[in-house]
Amino acid sequence: MALPKFDVLCPDSLDEACDMLESHASEGIKILAGGTDLLVNIKLPVIAPRAYVLESSTSQLVSTHSEELWKDHSGPLAPPSPAYLLSLHRLRNELERIEELPDGSLLVGALTTARTLQMSELVRLKWAALAEGADALGSPLVRARGTLGGNICNARPAADLFVPSVALGAKLGVVSIHGYEVIDASEFALAPGKTRLQSGQILVEIVYPASPPGTGSAYYKLAQRKALDISVVGAGVRLTIDSLLKITSVSLALGAVGPTPIVAKTVIDVLLGKKLDDSTLKLAATAAASDATPIDDHRGSALYRKQMIEVLTRKILTTAYLRARRSL
Amino acid sequence: MSDYRILNTRAPRVDAWDKVTGKAQYTDDLKRPGMLYGAILHSPIGHGKILNIDTSRAENLPGVKAVITWKDVGTQPYGVSPARYDETIFCFDKVRYVGDEIAAVAAIDPDIAREAVNLIRVDFEPLPLVLDPLHAMDEGQSQLHEMYDHNICAKVNWNFGDIEEGRSEAAILRTDSLSSKMQDGAFMEPQSILAEVDGADNLTMWSSTQAPHYIQRTIAMALNHPLHKVRVIKPAVGGGFGPKASCSTAELAICMLALKTRRPVKFTFDREQVFLHGRARHQFHHTMTTGIHRDGTLAFLEHKCILDGGAYASFGIATVYYAGSLLGGPYRLKNMKYDGYRVVTNKPACGAQRGHGAVIARALFEVQLDRLAEELGMDPVELRLKNVMEAGETTCNELFVSSFGMKEALEAVRDSAAWKRKRGELGQTRANGTGIGAACGFFVSGAGYPIYRSKTYHATVVIKLEEVGGGVTVFSGAADIGQGSDTVLAMITAEELGVELNDIRVESGDSSRSVDLGAYSSRTTLMAGHACREAAQDVKRQILQAVATRLEIPPESLEIKAGKVISLTGEIDFSEIRREFLQEHKGFMDTPEGPELTFREASRIAFLELGSVVGTGKYKPPPLGGSFKGATVGTSPAFGCSAQIAEVKVDLETGEVSVERITGAHDCGFAINRTQVEGQMQGSMMMGMGEALMEQKIFDSEGRILNRNLAEYKIPTSLDMPHLESIIVESNEPNGPYGAKEVGEGAIMPVIPSILNAIYDATGVRIDELPVTPERIVEALQKKKLENEL
Repeated sequence: MALPKFDVLCPDSLDEACDMLESHASEGIKILAGGTDLLVNIKLPVIAPRAYVLESSTSQLVSTHSEELWKDHSGPLAPPSPAYLLSLHRLRNELERIEELPDGSLLVGALTTARTLQMSELVRLKWAALAEGADALGSPLVRARGTLGGNICNARPAADLFVPSVALGAKLGVVSIHGYEVIDASEFALAPGKTRLQSGQILVEIVYPASPPGTGSAYYKLAQRKALDISVVGAGVRLTIDSLLKITSVSLALGAVGPTPIVAKTVIDVLLGKKLDDSTLKLAATAAASDATPIDDHRGSALYRKQMIEVLTRKILTTAYLRARRSL
Repeated sequence: MSDYRILNTRAPRVDAWDKVTGKAQYTDDLKRPGMLYGAILHSPIGHGKILNIDTSRAENLPGVKAVITWKDVGTQPYGVSPARYDETIFCFDKVRYVGDEIAAVAAIDPDIAREAVNLIRVDFEPLPLVLDPLHAMDEGQSQLHEMYDHNICAKVNWNFGDIEEGRSEAAILRTDSLSSKMQDGAFMEPQSILAEVDGADNLTMWSSTQAPHYIQRTIAMALNHPLHKVRVIKPAVGGGFGPKASCSTAELAICMLALKTRRPVKFTFDREQVFLHGRARHQFHHTMTTGIHRDGTLAFLEHKCILDGGAYASFGIATVYYAGSLLGGPYRLKNMKYDGYRVVTNKPACGAQRGHGAVIARALFEVQLDRLAEELGMDPVELRLKNVMEAGETTCNELFVSSFGMKEALEAVRDSAAWKRKRGELGQTRANGTGIGAACGFFVSGAGYPIYRSKTYHATVVIKLEEVGGGVTVFSGAADIGQGSDTVLAMITAEELGVELNDIRVESGDSSRSVDLGAYSSRTTLMAGHACREAAQDVKRQILQAVATRLEIPPESLEIKAGKVISLTGEIDFSEIRREFLQEHKGFMDTPEGPELTFREASRIAFLELGSVVGTGKYKPPPLGGSFKGATVGTSPAFGCSAQIAEVKVDLETGEVSVERITGAHDCGFAINRTQVEGQMQGSMMMGMGEALMEQKIFDSEGRILNRNLAEYKIPTSLDMPHLESIIVESNEPNGPYGAKEVGEGAIMPVIPSILNAIYDATGVRIDELPVTPERIVEALQKKKLENEL
């Protein structure tokens, strides 16, 4: 694999990391956590010569080299390669952890790997959607390196840790030389690959709200194969029920059906105060589908994705509801 | 149990240790002093006239040692089939697909080479693209090659028996179609090339190839370099599956760069280039009408196929023939008509891939058999059993099957998979998400004729004894590309010479060692196996002759068993020979002991009596096949056959398919190495499963491959693989060494249709487009539901 030239910076503390980010911001700097997305994304393509087109009324010319007025015909240009990668590997003591806080919420350090999430009994018991997201991610090799923070900051709409994090109502703790800030996971992504993270900011921790009795969550990834795949549709849900088995809170997130992971807002009204019976399930599924605007791409058509939102919504609601009842 | 010591066992592969410890050297691992690095400029557009190529900026980049285009290498056409030489080393007038090669660079490091390639300016006048194979033949379409009128690269029109008579007799007939997408071989090791020239103009190329012999010839021809001064060596190869069987522009360009710079040049494909270069499975559009008698016997097959071949012919002439010819078996079919058209389009050229040409045709035909069985109310396995051929029969297209365990294979999978219990009554489908399906297959065991017209031997083997005694080296041109042919040659030699496997060294995959046409058409065990056996017997005869001469006894009274020379006629006094050996080895600690003469001593005596002892063996098939046009394709000295049962679970809401179990049986004649036969069967199951459910190159409207990496081009992962059961059937092939014939490709034939038939059983819907993605299943289920409601 051919990579562009870059320097790697290895800070020993968060403060140093923030300083480095700030001081190299103008030259282009990218944060390197597990690298399972970043290194693939900055890899140089073989078909580097692009096709530039000159169109006139009489003829059309194409060239591998551009001149004035020639239009790039090769689709969007890859973003310029960063001059620096800021590697966080020396901050693992600080940023790789899973901890239940006194208020019952869960704090996960940004460098926590998918593998560690998978292995955590605590996560699987109370924040099952996150554990299932970790199960669905990549392959054993990718899971051993890929981190929660990286998966979220990479901001792919199909990201297997991001989508359940949105469903679970995660808050993202971000630092920079200017201080600490909290951003809602549901508002973090702006577009594929684009986030609210300002230049100079590092995502350091992710906090998941407490999982009181009567709470259950689930994530389902629909893909073409059982590992190393990107979802055609992903869906995660967290819900809480009362002693009468009525839903008191619910949050449902969908992946790969819009430019970012999206929250299915219409579903909330359909489900609140209801028990999960067949007709409610059906209404919720239809509502979820109406919340999404999937597109056609080579992984699946918009129509299929719409239909699958309904199917997956039924599947995850059923599973999460069952888990909620068990935890009462 | 067999009478053999080594053959028919599960002997470990001779390359196992080096491969699992990472010691095995693949081409990209090799380094030569002063080595340069190559890079290639690919066309960024799918179809266009080249107006101008400006290499000046690349030439002026420090570190660049050579930049070559067609102006340096000429425009001598070459290709795979002599009748269709339609490629030049570099494009000179036109580019014909995104990835077509325009120039190459050698530089002191790979980054500079790459940078230099990007400095070459090429101006094009774009031409209309031809991307849809079904319309490539239409009037008014842009023409890719002058030599291919209407973009037809090859066509076949065959008529065997009398299909009109078959049609009039048939009780039921039905027409179905099935299409597939272009595929990639998805081998682990990308193509890699290292070329070097010495002071006497001897050109040596190490390459990740399946066929050193053909590559040697093509290099000599296209570069106009003396054939005897071209040597092609195949180091360890990480899989081929067909795409590495033809000579590539990269191989020719790197040799040219080495000749020009007089320095070694290395170049390894990026995975993206593996996809751009292609030469893998064609895209097929099959339509078949099959007729059947009331009793379930076949009446006729009328078959039409359009193959999308991409921009060049490559192996495609053979492909379009194979797509028709291999439906001649394994069932008795008297009347068969085939019309095949291979068209060229602005996509990477397609070539051979495991099950060459025949895989999708087989899939549709086996699906048709199931559908006909359903209409007849007959169990689909019973219907097949009613029609299977037996040894000694000849197909309607004149393919003679000298051994044929088809019935045994089908019965074996039927019983092992508990077909009757699981499938239920009379083959009715369940449509409840659980399905089971069966299919059979038929394949050549080595193509009957070489690619170029010649009386050449297909395989020769030279075996030489170490003059010091004890060791044996097998020299062969055969290409072990991971399938294990080195182990097969070592086992045959060890068996024949009566010695242990680890006394044999195999030096293979080198065009200077012997002639071998290569690892394609599932030929190596049969052809190189024959040659190896003959060479080993030659060596053995010489050893026993020498020992007998010494002892003044007839050589017939001696035999070698388990590393010892034994007498068949009572005790013999070997002490004189022993004394002589010990005298030669004063100070050695591992001197032979015991009353019998060791192979070490015997082979030393042979040297002392005869000088260097070398044995040779050779093989070529007898003249085969009919006299009609294209009759040679499909001929083989033997035919493998296979049966398979797949069990699936389908999520009827999402369309997700989980293959739960595959039971396969393959008639390989005789298993030289049982583990390797099973390995080929299991590899075939995995590959076929991927082709059925996942694999497709996806093109955009400009002819660019969108998924040109192994993350987006999907093949099964180990999690996707079900339990696999591999049953070996041995029918003792009279034309094979020890009764052996192929398994490498034949085993893939039933995989796709058995899965398609199982999916139908599980869902009640038929998908006529591969791969069967979850989306296609959901779409079909919804369509059926709508139809039922109307």
